Amino acid sequence: MMNPIIHARGLTRRFGDFTAVDHLDIDVLPGSIFAFLGANGSGKSTTIRMLIGILRPTEGTIEVDGIDVIRRPRLVRDHIGYMGQRVSLYRGLSLRENVEFYAGLYNLSGAELERRWGALRERFSLGETEDEKAEDLPVGIRQRAGLALSTLHQPRVLFLDEPTTGVDVHNRGLFWELIQDEAKAGVTVFVTTHFLEEVEYCDWVCFIDAGRLIANDEPEALRRRYSAGYRIDIELPPEACDPAKALIRAAGHPVERTSIGLQLRVPELGAGTLATFERIAASHAGTIRIEQAPMTDVFRQVLAESGRPT
Amino acid sequence: MSSSEHGDGGQQDVIRLRGLEKRFGRRSALAGVDLTLGGQQIVGIVGPDGAGKTTLIRSLAGLLEIEAAEAEVLGYDLRADVGELKAHIGYMPQAFSLHRDLSVIENLRFTARLHRLETSAFTRRAEELLKRTQLAPFADRPAGALSGGMKQKLAIANALLVCPDLLLLDEPTAGVDVVARTDIWDLLQRERRRTLVLLSTGYLDEAAACDRLVYLDHGRVVATGTPAELRESVRLDAYRAWGDDPRAIAREARRLPYVAGARPTGRYARIDVGRPAPAPEQVLRDLVSLAHTEVRFAEPIPVDMESTLLALARRAGRQTAAQLAPTTQ
Repeated sequence: MMNPIIHARGLTRRFGDFTAVDHLDIDVLPGSIFAFLGANGSGKSTTIRMLIGILRPTEGTIEVDGIDVIRRPRLVRDHIGYMGQRVSLYRGLSLRENVEFYAGLYNLSGAELERRWGALRERFSLGETEDEKAEDLPVGIRQRAGLALSTLHQPRVLFLDEPTTGVDVHNRGLFWELIQDEAKAGVTVFVTTHFLEEVEYCDWVCFIDAGRLIANDEPEALRRRYSAGYRIDIELPPEACDPAKALIRAAGHPVERTSIGLQLRVPELGAGTLATFERIAASHAGTIRIEQAPMTDVFRQVLAESGRPT
Repeated sequence: MSSSEHGDGGQQDVIRLRGLEKRFGRRSALAGVDLTLGGQQIVGIVGPDGAGKTTLIRSLAGLLEIEAAEAEVLGYDLRADVGELKAHIGYMPQAFSLHRDLSVIENLRFTARLHRLETSAFTRRAEELLKRTQLAPFADRPAGALSGGMKQKLAIANALLVCPDLLLLDEPTAGVDVVARTDIWDLLQRERRRTLVLLSTGYLDEAAACDRLVYLDHGRVVATGTPAELRESVRLDAYRAWGDDPRAIAREARRLPYVAGARPTGRYARIDVGRPAPAPEQVLRDLVSLAHTEVRFAEPIPVDMESTLLALARRAGRQTAAQLAPTTQ
């Protein structure tokens, strides 16, 4: 098994009497997209500030890319990129001038900067707006520019705090394709969001509430645990029901007759189950509809079971 | 505050706009908005970034000098003196604009005094709003020390304080968690019984929950209707294709000539097909036999709000291109 690239143990932060983060254990595997979720005020931002080395924990240990963040907070900065909801671009400077400013912070210049920025500009579709002043950039483009700037120095880990808040649905889609590209290239992405449907893009989900971990698993595992899983309705001519039923039973699932055909519930949709559906659809001209619980419902259930009044 | 002279509930138009325009220097933010809306409904303003949503809301709040053939809000002309109109409107801007160093209750009291609300009426209304926003335990906390969700709730409570005849809320739930969003919507559903609630939102579930949607693009109203009407108007069929590499599935699906859009998620790709479309059996066959990737199973699904909004954006993009074409020749 791979060693985690973010590894925190007993992470705790108190502000006076108030405990914002309460003994969190976090492990993030390299190259994964890790969704860090929680209600407003649950301690998400405080946790991120500790992980990136700008806030000292009251207790606990943090290692990011092999670096002890608490003892060497400055060193970790070369290994990580950070982007918040409000992208820090200097007003009055064009996007290009902002790039040069940030590149300077990472000692990136000349041909190396041209090569790096040239590639990002292309991939992030920023060429047309390079000469516009930061304050004139539409939100969607500004957030993409923020992501480009936070990856300029090719960090191994990206921390993105609500990167898609205020971004329209089209640009959110583009943004997530870029995040997935980064992950595919081996970058680890630690991301927060209130658009819970975005969890579908992530490999792992961690929910916190009142500074404590309340769920920590793969999205599918959470769906299995905190919802009724998948409900499948199969519309079939009556004579096709028995053979279809046999196929589904052979795949290991109980199934019931309904007025339109068959219905079953499965905790997860494995390759075998999907292949069975395809066989039924192909051979019996049936219509199959799969219903899954939306992530908002899963999230509500996680909170309800954690004992929080909702 | 009396609203008797400004109509009685849903019968009368609260908003009547014809050819509303707003320019900022050389840039046209609103390019001829036509819109008529009555009361007692929640109307969502949706559309891409830069479509003019915020400018429209600010114009309706009487904050901008505008040009129009007709521009009436609650019976007041937006082109004339809007001083009195403002007293009847509850407005919440996008950026948090309350006093950070005042406490929750002090902020509300400050607004009440500006509107000359009587003390007894204020106490009653403030108590009710704090209870319904669940801000009561934080009444004495400085607004600057509230969490993001609580700040938004306070700003909404502030807009609701004087029982306005029109509520204008610019992205009231941006950055707010799902539980707090439910509280906020409960509050808005209640207000809707007396007034018109006009809000902008980026959340798909909120857009779907509005009574009516106004889709704005390039400073114009491109479509209006109930969420169901808009879903029907985009003339799409939607499909879901399951497999191990949804990104490859989406990429390959986009090569099919009739596919309007394809979006990968973790376990499947959503595929939108524009009508007139091939028969579903044909589409499903094409999807499961895509080249260079394996689709394990494909199914037809209902068109959702995301597909609807993306289709409206595509359509508006084409319209703009068509409008520009003659002048560029």
